[in-house]
Amino acid sequence: MIVFVSGAVRSGKSEVAEACARSLAHGGRLHYLATAQATDEEMAARIRRHQERRTASGAYWMVWEGPARLEQLAESLRPSDVVLIDCLTMWLANDLFVGDSWRTEEASFAIAGHLLDDVRSLADACRAVVIVSNELFSGGVPTDPGTFCYMKTLGWLHQQLVAEAAVAAVVECGLVRVKKGRWPQ
Amino acid sequence: MRERYGIGDGVQIVWHDGYQEPYGPPNGVKVAKTVVFEGLEAAIRRLPDTAEWERFFHAWKQWEDEVAGRTVVWVGTDVTQGIVPTDPADRRWRDAVGVCYQRLAAMCCRVDRLWCGLAERLK
Repeated sequence: MIVFVSGAVRSGKSEVAEACARSLAHGGRLHYLATAQATDEEMAARIRRHQERRTASGAYWMVWEGPARLEQLAESLRPSDVVLIDCLTMWLANDLFVGDSWRTEEASFAIAGHLLDDVRSLADACRAVVIVSNELFSGGVPTDPGTFCYMKTLGWLHQQLVAEAAVAAVVECGLVRVKKGRWPQ
Repeated sequence: MRERYGIGDGVQIVWHDGYQEPYGPPNGVKVAKTVVFEGLEAAIRRLPDTAEWERFFHAWKQWEDEVAGRTVVWVGTDVTQGIVPTDPADRRWRDAVGVCYQRLAAMCCRVDRLWCGLAERLK
């Protein structure tokens, strides 16, 4: 199954998603697909904070750095495993802007379609995929074509994932607002 | 949106995309039953004049009321929940969007707020 967790910056969505993954695992193995890349010191500190929190949680996470390790992750999955993907926004940005895909809507949607297929494959091979994304649609729609395409495809991905998810929630100020299904306890 | 709101008949739809070009007035639209205005916030950016927009909304409401079975659908992104922009023109635009959405919501028989494809009916 798929659990979709979205939220604004510093809303507590990652903590909520991690706790959700832990309770879904019931002692099964936890995988963490990290999609952020340390492009500067601020980003590196952000990643370190996430790592420290996961360590402090006491649970053991098998960490897979970036979608480049996706295939290996998929091969190693057992039916009782839980995968946490943090986050979709970075994953799509990496895939879209690594080449020229962002220049046309067709190519952008092709990238998003592949990404969706990857999430589906993971979900089919394990107990649950918890996927984190961002609420970034309330600050206006930029006119530059790259960002425009990015927002459009991310919005589309959100719709597909929420449609297929058993549970969908948005985190606000650390509070979980369940929009679909029942929140795993 | 086509599925959710039963907008199925391609022949009878006029679709305006505010991200691409300015919207058109209702005069001359005779055959279509459904008119969709997408990217309203982008259209307002080009003309952040709420009085002008109110006249435009009313003109289309009148068009809708003239013949039974006509529907006008307005689709806009909420741009009013971010940081207050430092640029005065951006602030004017954001304010205009908020005012326009309020006026529209007062005129519309149905208002939905969409999140990831899930609609929350506000009116």
